Amino acid sequence: MSMSEPPQDIHVYADSLAAMSRALAARDEHAFRSALSAFDAVRDAEVLTGVRRVTVELQSALQRFEIDARLIDLAHHQVPDARRRLEHVLRLTNDAAHRTMDLVDQCGPLAQRIEQGAERLVAGGASASALGQFRTQVAECLGGIRSRLGDVRLAQSYQDLTGQIVRGVMSLVDELERALIELASIVDGKDAAARREQTMGRGRGPVVPGVSHGEVVSGQQDVDALLSDLGM
Amino acid sequence: MSVQRSLNFLVVDDYSTMRRIVKNLLNELGYANVTEADDGATALPLLRSGSFDFLITDWNMPGMPGLELLKQVRADERLAKLPVLMLTAEAKREQIVEAAQAGVNGYVIKPFTAATLKEKIDKILSSQAAAA
Repeated sequence: MSMSEPPQDIHVYADSLAAMSRALAARDEHAFRSALSAFDAVRDAEVLTGVRRVTVELQSALQRFEIDARLIDLAHHQVPDARRRLEHVLRLTNDAAHRTMDLVDQCGPLAQRIEQGAERLVAGGASASALGQFRTQVAECLGGIRSRLGDVRLAQSYQDLTGQIVRGVMSLVDELERALIELASIVDGKDAAARREQTMGRGRGPVVPGVSHGEVVSGQQDVDALLSDLGM
Repeated sequence: MSVQRSLNFLVVDDYSTMRRIVKNLLNELGYANVTEADDGATALPLLRSGSFDFLITDWNMPGMPGLELLKQVRADERLAKLPVLMLTAEAKREQIVEAAQAGVNGYVIKPFTAATLKEKIDKILSSQAAAA
């Protein structure tokens, strides 16, 4: 608030000033003093209002400073940190998917070797030694497949790690949201929930329950029905 | 059928795991010639310089998204008739309508099954053959 700002309603002084000048003209000291106290009361009330306003502004400035400090910490440290965490999640999921596919790819030839062994056994007549050899081969291949299945199971442990990291980032997003909402409500006195809709051309990614809005297809059958309505 | 199996496929997706899944499925269906690209911007020069018979593309990719790639393909005289299958997690009805209007030949929603992918490719190829 500027100190040179004129009082909003100077006419509130008019009544007591008029009473004072009437009392002066009539040389009535008692009436003059009572008009002067009325004048002082109006003035006191105005000063009080000003002080109250300055106090509120100071309070909101302090509050904003606190939120600013929190936001600065979030922006400088926590957000880059969260980005690195999410990059790590991407890496972990990518590695686990490739590891799983590598293992599955390796099982194909092992199964094929059993199949070929069985065919050879049938074609060559099942002699005792050939049977023994086939049995060893089957045990070997199945052992290989079994151990790879075990590794596939192990590769799924990424879910535990990524889950923990994602949950950490979620709590950061919560905190960021709270700080921004508080800041917005200090600035304009109401909550600023205006969210920019992503442009459709970019694509929006998979449907996330509770997040995605608008009309969404429920699966491939729905897509097919829609396309056939469009004449495809 | 043997002619079809020699078709050249271009698979465009920003996730290497998804490209690998689609490529493996195509290989299992007997399509051995599969090239990969990670977004529309890298796919387009490949399409223009190569001789591809089929394009399978994701929608949501950094750089050039799949819808823009589809539009560029349809706008290019030499590529205009290329069969394009959209393989995407984009599930809004308005998006599917937009892809159809842009000239997509098929739309498969992720997560998808091997059977769905085969069915849509077969359908597109047979309608191409009927039109030829």
